[in-house]
Amino acid sequence: MSCSCNSTSDKDLYVPEPATVLKSEPMTELERFLEFKLASGRELGHMPGQFVELSLPAYGEAPFSISSSPTKNGSFEMVVRQVGNVTSGIHRLQAGEKVGIRGPYGTSFPVEDGLRGQDIMFVCGGIGLVPVRSAIHYVLDNRDDYGDVKILFGCKSPAERLFTDELAAWEERDDVEVLQTVDKGDESWSGNVGVITTLLPKVHVNASNTAAIVCGPPVMYKFVIWDLYEMGLTADGIYVSLERRMKCGLGKCGHCQVNNIYVCQDGPVFNLGEIEEVREAIQ
Amino acid sequence: MSKPKVAIFDFACCEGCQLQIVNLEEELLDLISVVQPVTWREAMSEKDDDYDIALIEGSITRPEDEERLRAIRDRADILVALGACATIGGVNKLKNNFELDEVKRCVYGDAADMPHLDTAMTKGADEVVEVDCYVHGCPMDKKEFTHIVKSLALGKEPVIPDYPVCVECKQRGTICRYEYGEICLGVVTRAGCNAPCPSGGLWCFGCRGYAPEPNVQAARDVMEEYDLTVEDLQSKLKLFNSKQEPTNA
Amino acid sequence: MGIRKLSTASLHAWVDRIIAGNRVIGIQAKDDKFAFAPLSAAGDLRLDHDVAYTPPKAFFQPAIETLVRYRGIEHESVVDDDPFVLFGVHPYDMVALNQMAEIWSRDNYDPHYMSRWEQATVVACDVQNVSENCFAGCMGTAHVKEGFDILLTKVGDSYLADYRTEKGEKLADLMEQSRDATDGDLRARREVWHANNRLLRRHELQMFPNNLPELLEKSYDHPVWEEMAERCFSCGSCNLCCPTCYCFDVQDDVEWDLQSGERKRAWDGCMLASFAGVAGGHNFRGDRADRYRHRYYRKGKYVPEMIGECACVGCGRCISACVANIANPVTVYNRLLEDE
Repeated sequence: MSCSCNSTSDKDLYVPEPATVLKSEPMTELERFLEFKLASGRELGHMPGQFVELSLPAYGEAPFSISSSPTKNGSFEMVVRQVGNVTSGIHRLQAGEKVGIRGPYGTSFPVEDGLRGQDIMFVCGGIGLVPVRSAIHYVLDNRDDYGDVKILFGCKSPAERLFTDELAAWEERDDVEVLQTVDKGDESWSGNVGVITTLLPKVHVNASNTAAIVCGPPVMYKFVIWDLYEMGLTADGIYVSLERRMKCGLGKCGHCQVNNIYVCQDGPVFNLGEIEEVREAIQ
Repeated sequence: MSKPKVAIFDFACCEGCQLQIVNLEEELLDLISVVQPVTWREAMSEKDDDYDIALIEGSITRPEDEERLRAIRDRADILVALGACATIGGVNKLKNNFELDEVKRCVYGDAADMPHLDTAMTKGADEVVEVDCYVHGCPMDKKEFTHIVKSLALGKEPVIPDYPVCVECKQRGTICRYEYGEICLGVVTRAGCNAPCPSGGLWCFGCRGYAPEPNVQAARDVMEEYDLTVEDLQSKLKLFNSKQEPTNA
Repeated sequence: MGIRKLSTASLHAWVDRIIAGNRVIGIQAKDDKFAFAPLSAAGDLRLDHDVAYTPPKAFFQPAIETLVRYRGIEHESVVDDDPFVLFGVHPYDMVALNQMAEIWSRDNYDPHYMSRWEQATVVACDVQNVSENCFAGCMGTAHVKEGFDILLTKVGDSYLADYRTEKGEKLADLMEQSRDATDGDLRARREVWHANNRLLRRHELQMFPNNLPELLEKSYDHPVWEEMAERCFSCGSCNLCCPTCYCFDVQDDVEWDLQSGERKRAWDGCMLASFAGVAGGHNFRGDRADRYRHRYYRKGKYVPEMIGECACVGCGRCISACVANIANPVTVYNRLLEDE
């Protein structure tokens, strides 16, 4: 016999709470921008770098980073790349429709306390910009609390660049240094061409007072980290966000486990010093 | 969202997979609530060349089959291979172990040279055209088929297991055939059928084809430990996995 | 709470009385093996079994279970709260169940597993016949001190029933012909425990299990992982038959209305090829050797670091289940020790 216990559902961490789609629009060929509001009206209460499990009945559930800053009230934003069966449903969502949300889960970039007063360098590859955007907005909304701010962004092609309006707006500011590159250019692109590490020699950092926030495809980390070390940064000054298959978000299902670490609970954001010796973490 | 139009076509096969659809019985009504069959020789007399999803049953054994399949591919948005004959060539690929002439003489004797008996090496559907979706098995599993139909109706990629049959035997608590010193192809065969053969006391025949990256070399290596030979293994693999990479059994 | 002694005939009469008023899952014969299944008569109970083919975790974390039922965006929790008696659990499996209760309840409490655990009355039973691959003696799990509601031990032709909990006492109240155990009975029981500690050693681990984390710390690059994994089918059998493997996958089933259905979890295993894969195709443990090593590290290091106990309880099921004969933890751990 199984019972449907509504009375216990407040204790069942697998039950999502409803959220309404406020905005849903394409960004690139593969990525879609979505803005949500919890139906209960409560704030999500996340910090930059955290993720939620988004569920779409009949399609299933998948983890997504939150792309908006907690300094933005009333809603939260995500960017969803169409790569699996849950995302194919998410890509058809229209404003007004509802989804399920569990979370927020995981660790965050320590912009709130740990990084105040420091220079911050964001290093993002492709959709790595999605979670980092949350931290960028947080820092820019509290701009006086931080030293120099640099944003390095690399993408495979100009067409795959995300948040181009915001990147342009950040470029306009004189209190932010923005450098961008694409692996392969086209007629529309007059900027840098080359992988993200080609941007690093172009910036000057005060290594002892700089924190780097790094997020991108798995292959990127090793190379970026080497170069950051070359620039004088230490592991303690580098924060990474690791992508894994965070199926339950609760530290149980095992899919996101990296050696003894559950990325969904112990991460996804790690100080590099914590995981440098963890063999499977950075590949 | 309007219901996708579905057409079902048969090539060289026993039509048992189509029969599995008919065997859905009451669920057939549910099925047509999410898709609209427009061409289905086994179950309806109407025919229509305007369809979104084509279900291909059977393997490709004649040059004219290839042309017909390409024409279907051109018309369909989604092409689904239905059952082992279409997904991997199936039992029909046994033929590929022999010379074509030998096969024809064996089956038709003196009449072998008649033009309508012309035949070619057997191919699965994806050896001729691009296949979007596979319904594995001989016959296909009804439950998996309905899962796939619902997924296609939702515009979602169906979840098809990519692990060996052993997983489902363990989930069911079925005693492993190797405990009795028998060869079972479950260790290299794609799951998704819920392992009915081992639970019924039979070895897995491998009708769903190889799981991705099957460790066939390991299967060869362990034969000796069970007092079996690589030839024993190969003869079992031939039934459904003749001339399939990576064994070429 | 107490310890009663009862004859085999009285035990059967007692079990039949339990069956009359409870849903009982008991260890029984299945072909030439043994399995837990709904018990309808005491005569079917096989407390002399060597090992249950499928570990008892299946009654707390079923192979496939519904977590949530949904209709559109409305989700409701599905929790199984039907009480049952699990009869005939061997000590090593009891240790495993104790570990699972710790893991499912700590940090993020899992109501699905824990409801079944709380509803269960577990009758453990000391081993009477040793299975072909059991090495519980080396793992300190040939005997169990806690977690059960009743522990049965066969002493001579009789059984001692040691009931420790309220749930255990409720079942013990159904005993008709029994008497309190004497000091002599308890001495005889201790002898059974000592003997089992010696007998449940079909494989001999050359170290204490609590030294495994330290040994593994040094063994990440040992050639054994590549060598053994070459023969691995990535079939997950060693995971799924393990009483302490609990990893799972979650998928949605949908009804024909395409709007309502159930979110289900199913047993999964870190040895399966795509276990650590992410959407988009990257696989963080794409090599067999990486997956193979992960299992030994999880049992010998990662879980012990989490809960303070070795996650291998020495049941030996993985050894029997592995068609390629590469899943023996004792062989692997001893090899690492030799080459240290």
